[in-house]
Amino acid sequence: MEKEHASIQDYGYRDFSTLNRIYQVFKKVLIVLIVLGLYISIIVIAIQSLNESRNLSDFTRLSFQWYGNILQEEELMQAIRNTFLVSSIATVLATFLGTFFAIGLYALSKKVRVFWMLLNNVPILNADIVTGFSLMLMFRLLMVIFPNIFGLFTLVMAHLFFTIPYVILSVMPKLKETDPNLMDAAMDLGVRPYKALVKVVIPAIKAGIFSGMLLALTMSIDDFAISYFNTGAGFDNLSIWIYAVIGRRNLTPSVYAFSTLLTIFTLFGLLIYQFLQRQKKGRKNEKNNFNDIRS
Amino acid sequence: MKRIILMTFVLSLSLIFVACSSSPKLRLLNWGEYINDAVVEKFEAETGIDLIISVADSNELFYSKIKSQTTAFDLVIPSDYMIEKMVEEDMLIELDYSKLDNRAEVTYMDGVVQIFDSMSETTLARSNKTINYYDFAVPYFWGTFGIIYNNRVEGLEEALNEHGWDVYFEADTYFPTARRGMYDVPQFAYAAAMMYLGNNPNDYSTEYLNQVQAVIEGADFIEWGDDTLKRNVEADNLDMAFVYTGDYLDRLYMQLEEGKTLEEVRSDFDIYIPDTTMVFIDCMVIPNTATNIDGAHQFINFLLDPVNAALNAEVVGYAVAFDEAFNQITSYLDSADTWRHNWATANSIYYNMEVERTFYPLTTLNPNDVDAIGTMIQNVITG
Amino acid sequence: MNKEFKVLSRPYMVWLSVLVFIPILAMLVISFSNLNSSVSMSELVLSVSHFNLLWESSTLIAFRNSILFATITTFISFVLGYFIAYEIKLSKFKNKFILLTFVILPMWSNLILRTESLANIMSENNILKSIIGFNIFGNISGTWIAVLFGLVFTYMPFMILSVYTALEKIDFALEEAALDLGLRPIKKFWKVVFPLSFKGVVTGSIMVFLPTLAGFAIPKILSRGQIVFIGNIIEQKFIYTNYNHGALLAVVILIFILGSILLLTKFDKEGETLL
Repeated sequence: MEKEHASIQDYGYRDFSTLNRIYQVFKKVLIVLIVLGLYISIIVIAIQSLNESRNLSDFTRLSFQWYGNILQEEELMQAIRNTFLVSSIATVLATFLGTFFAIGLYALSKKVRVFWMLLNNVPILNADIVTGFSLMLMFRLLMVIFPNIFGLFTLVMAHLFFTIPYVILSVMPKLKETDPNLMDAAMDLGVRPYKALVKVVIPAIKAGIFSGMLLALTMSIDDFAISYFNTGAGFDNLSIWIYAVIGRRNLTPSVYAFSTLLTIFTLFGLLIYQFLQRQKKGRKNEKNNFNDIRS
Repeated sequence: MKRIILMTFVLSLSLIFVACSSSPKLRLLNWGEYINDAVVEKFEAETGIDLIISVADSNELFYSKIKSQTTAFDLVIPSDYMIEKMVEEDMLIELDYSKLDNRAEVTYMDGVVQIFDSMSETTLARSNKTINYYDFAVPYFWGTFGIIYNNRVEGLEEALNEHGWDVYFEADTYFPTARRGMYDVPQFAYAAAMMYLGNNPNDYSTEYLNQVQAVIEGADFIEWGDDTLKRNVEADNLDMAFVYTGDYLDRLYMQLEEGKTLEEVRSDFDIYIPDTTMVFIDCMVIPNTATNIDGAHQFINFLLDPVNAALNAEVVGYAVAFDEAFNQITSYLDSADTWRHNWATANSIYYNMEVERTFYPLTTLNPNDVDAIGTMIQNVITG
Repeated sequence: MNKEFKVLSRPYMVWLSVLVFIPILAMLVISFSNLNSSVSMSELVLSVSHFNLLWESSTLIAFRNSILFATITTFISFVLGYFIAYEIKLSKFKNKFILLTFVILPMWSNLILRTESLANIMSENNILKSIIGFNIFGNISGTWIAVLFGLVFTYMPFMILSVYTALEKIDFALEEAALDLGLRPIKKFWKVVFPLSFKGVVTGSIMVFLPTLAGFAIPKILSRGQIVFIGNIIEQKFIYTNYNHGALLAVVILIFILGSILLLTKFDKEGETLL
């Protein structure tokens, strides 16, 4: 800003450009540090998986042997398969059910809703081991009718129990933001309520559903205590296996290798998805520039 | 809405129909990585039984799993005190020795017999019942406890050999700067302190409890851990810790496999086994939830074969329970194969049965006492 | 919202009643009695003898630790997490969901593996030191700093996700209007953006605060067993099959937390910011 006799500072303008520049640098550093903080443990796991030695405190030589080993670790592979099976079923069901439950809860009067939302917090709040234990006791009552109930079924039910609340918690604030007139408008146009729900409300709360789904998957994939009590028939997931091995024996570094692979594949998947989207957008842009600007 | 209901319905149906294979199954509840995969394969090939292994990391979790009856386990491998508790609560069925031909082929090691005797004694003293634990349990592995120590600390080895428990517990007198760690199982801490005081670790009284509290406070532990203890001593992040001897052998085997010599490893970190120490034994028992009792006997019989027991010991750092298997391992002392030679040497050093030692297996204390010990330990940690 | 949808919440009400209410009732009974696996119904006695546990110094300290650490963790997660969420919102990157997945991706690896690897590099001799020659964390293993670091960077993704979900909806036109009306960017943020995203902050805080408060693995591993949370004590009690004590502590926490949330909603005049 150039200076003049009657400077704009006299009118209350203050020059923040230096401050702004410092803030820009500070911002970048902070972002890098936070991302590093989030990922430091993942980086260390990756290093451990590339270490030739099984010793976790000393990096001897670079080696990919633990990656090749994953397939030979039968118990580990079984645990991984089980984890994926349970978590994918639980996540899909929890996202789906949680969204509709949230809509249902939102339709209640406020007093009633507050009460149920309080209860909804209990599965998140309760110590895992307490939840796991009480669920097991409840499912045991069903054993009278279905003697072989424990296994995949109870495991998925237990996972639903603590993932649905997360979905509801993330969908609910979005629901409150949606314009109540949206629904009315749709219905005035002659759309039936449930159709309007799917066509109008769901798109409006998409972001909440998506973050709810991410949370559900995250909680489900990593659960130990609740899974331990509610599994059966040898249906152990990865967390149960890791806990059992870590206590008395040495974990094979193949676990670290698997963990690293999971992270890397997801990252790659995201990149490829982004790339494809951009290509699609590029083609669309030619005819549809206007829409893009608005969004 | 119809679609929603349909989808939910289909999904729950698909959950209920879980594929079943036809070969007979044997459900084993075991510690994680506590069996050699080669043993599993050999057993499955010989008998055609499908061995399904579930894992857990503590006796208490075993107990709650069996008690809850959520899975019909055919075979469990709990430790001594938990076997006592399970027998007391009628959770186990008696073994049928007519199905265990190999029992005649093996001799239990002296230490194992001592443990079985002492289990019967404590049961007699507590509940006035005479129980022969051989009727319920066949040993799987056993082992002692010891103090794993950092040999990079000058003079620690000599001090331990001379003063034993005192070095570990008297932080004021010996090595005040040494970093000490303890297993975060309250009863282990209590038992170790009791042995330092010269008492039977299975005795309990409020007076003992107060003494033990003072002892543990004096030791100034900087870590209450589990598997982290052995790794921290190995990495020079800790100087002493009370652990399973098998914990040490685990790390030792690992380093041997990576080409270090026995002397190199021992000069970094080693384990001292006090003259009076705790022992444990893990036994195969058949819970009364079992459906494949025949298969369970087949499995026990299979592991009563010394060859199979020794094979199993190749990957597990604990001591085999049969003289025959132990002799087979120590016969490798003259082996040209370095790994086998080292394996045999390690077994003969750390599970040397010629040394006279007093062994105490832990017993199940009265729940109130267990609780008081737990609270005392928590108070020490938070204090 | 259309009242017709009320019916959608019915199944969940049944589900919650069966799986939350009954266990809580059972826990109440267990904590007020001598009921356990080896006591038969005929010997059942109601008693408050377990309540001594609540005044044990270790229990009180564990409560204090849990609440203190959970509060500080929530606050730090809020400051850092809001910042990241806001940057995600501002970024020119089109696919925001990729950024969000990137943020939460570390949580897909097992918690124990992650925490142990953190503990590894926080100790004196570790794998990073053997590569780069020095300790990036110093030797903080076993201290409260280590625990706090672990808690913040484990649970922060929850905060980022919730705050972003709230920010996402804010109309850009609103911000422009604020600027046109002469608000400086910082003021615009406090007057316009922040209040509109407050719901996300509350949700995020609940999602960070609750698991931190009830958790036990992170404090146990990173403090090397020296800092005890209430979750550690509950876990111990349940593992050693002292369900009476375990249930008592669990119920006390539940009442304490649900009570404080309820109190907040009472004080919240508009009643819509919270639940």
